Amino acid sequence: MTDTMNIEKISLSDTLPRVFADESIPDSQVWRRQLTFERGRNYVIEAPSGTGKSSLCAYIYGSRRDYLGEIRFDGEDIRKIAPARWQELRRTALAYLPQELDLFPELTAMQNIELKNGLTGHVDRARIEEWMRMLGIDSRSDYPVGRMSIGQQQRVAIIRCICQPFSFLLIDEPVSHLDAANNALAARIIMEEASRQGAAIIATSVGNRIGITVDTLLHL
Amino acid sequence: MNRLIRKLLHRNLSKAQLAGFILSNFAGLAIVILGLQFFADARPIWEDEDSFIRKDYIVVNKRVTSANTFGQSSAFTEAEIADLERQPWVRKIGRFTSADYRVYASIKTDGRSLSTYMFLEAIPSEFIDVAKREWSFRPGDKSVPIIISKDYLSLYNFGFAGSVGMAQFSESTISSVPLVLRLRPDDGGPDQEINGHIVGFSNRLNTILVPETFMQWSNARFSRNGGAQQPSRLIIDVSSPGDVKINEYMQAHDYEIAGDKGNSQASFLVNVITGVVLAVGTLITVLSFFILLLSISLLMQKNRDKIHSLIMLGVDLRVISGVYCRLVAWVNLSSFALAAGAMFALRGTYLASIRGMGATQASPWLSLSAGFCLTLLITIFNMLSIRRRVARAFLK
Repeated sequence: MTDTMNIEKISLSDTLPRVFADESIPDSQVWRRQLTFERGRNYVIEAPSGTGKSSLCAYIYGSRRDYLGEIRFDGEDIRKIAPARWQELRRTALAYLPQELDLFPELTAMQNIELKNGLTGHVDRARIEEWMRMLGIDSRSDYPVGRMSIGQQQRVAIIRCICQPFSFLLIDEPVSHLDAANNALAARIIMEEASRQGAAIIATSVGNRIGITVDTLLHL
Repeated sequence: MNRLIRKLLHRNLSKAQLAGFILSNFAGLAIVILGLQFFADARPIWEDEDSFIRKDYIVVNKRVTSANTFGQSSAFTEAEIADLERQPWVRKIGRFTSADYRVYASIKTDGRSLSTYMFLEAIPSEFIDVAKREWSFRPGDKSVPIIISKDYLSLYNFGFAGSVGMAQFSESTISSVPLVLRLRPDDGGPDQEINGHIVGFSNRLNTILVPETFMQWSNARFSRNGGAQQPSRLIIDVSSPGDVKINEYMQAHDYEIAGDKGNSQASFLVNVITGVVLAVGTLITVLSFFILLLSISLLMQKNRDKIHSLIMLGVDLRVISGVYCRLVAWVNLSSFALAAGAMFALRGTYLASIRGMGATQASPWLSLSAGFCLTLLITIFNMLSIRRRVARAFLK
């Protein structure tokens, strides 16, 4: 649809959620630090609830701006990116699996995935069906997502978020509702797609960590 | 993909609300369009300007009272005319002279004929804007040009022709109908026939006009006293027709201004009424615009999470606003189309009757384009508001 954009580095400089402005965060390896995420590496950010994991993802994804300090894509302050370019980045450079999944309950599993894939034209239907089969939700393909279990919905959202070219994949507690076997399968699919694209993965976790190989483990 | 987006964004759409909007917008637009169209169609009735009598000419006569019925003359005396000539607003005065003998006129159509006694008047030809060649008569000519009051044509068409089964005439066809004038001398001598041809119609001169040269010739020939009577009507070239001093003078001397006085009152009233109707129509249209704005806002508010989720997926903002813009454009255009249809339908009910009053039907383009501009304006405002709302859903 559009030319693929690439992001090589995402750097954080003194970044801090505004709500934490008056608190001291002595142990964080992310907030109020100079930190660079590089393409091709896998990051896991681990922290207890309420420390701003989802906020960090939303900041990088451009859907929230309530932070102090700066976030840069290859040196460019992301606050200055116009909405039209954000949408292009979201189709071609930044993939995101939000914690709340953001699926449309009235659409079927397949329609939810096709909605994204229709925007990017990234994979063919056979590939989608194969991923669904691998994650054990192929029989639910024509079910409205609203009638599926949280674990099943999570697998639909995982497939949806990799139906696009990306330099960085942000996954916010992606396997919180998956058993060990499905966790491993999901991790394999995500890793394969990320390495095929030479992309970075930034995953957050409260403990039930996705089974990807971790290059850098950070505490928030 | 776009089908899915449309399906998501059209959720919570209330058909009843949209129907309510279309109905109210239709009512407002129909009133505006029909009001304008009626105004345009009917305007010639009171604003028709005679091509041969300029607007700054007024025709003055004495008010006819019961005294006149019992013999007192309603003619102007030389002293009265001289006093008029001294008024600062008078540029020049022309006297009406009338035929001082009997005139018998007849027209023939389809083998039937209409004959009537009638009268003729003349004013100096400098007051008449008809090409000199058409408005002239020399003794010996076989035909004389005539200007008649438009009212007489209406009297004939609607009062007479229908009841006796004679053909009705438009202004252009009657000019080609042969009119025979039989001039009957006062002294009982033989009648003389002469053809008349109508060269024009006047709203402002309530008479039958012939060239002054014809009047002089015929009065000299057929009238016992040579037509030397005082005029009962004067045509005055005034410097400014709206001057209140003119009215004051006329009232003080018990004179009447013929013709357009009543018209100007009617025209004022019609202007006011049209203004009120257009204001009401515009008000309804503007209110219905707010109904649409509110119902679209409500719909977008209900669907805000979906709009945000679509934005999170990377759907372009203009694709999302496009879905609602198309919806708005569709409902606005349908109410405009309905209103335009209603205008044409309702116009049919009054066209026949105002045509009888001498109006020619105006082009519908003016009223339609005014309605369309209003629709366009409303649509643009709605679209801007939609785009603003979508942009606001960009951030969580």
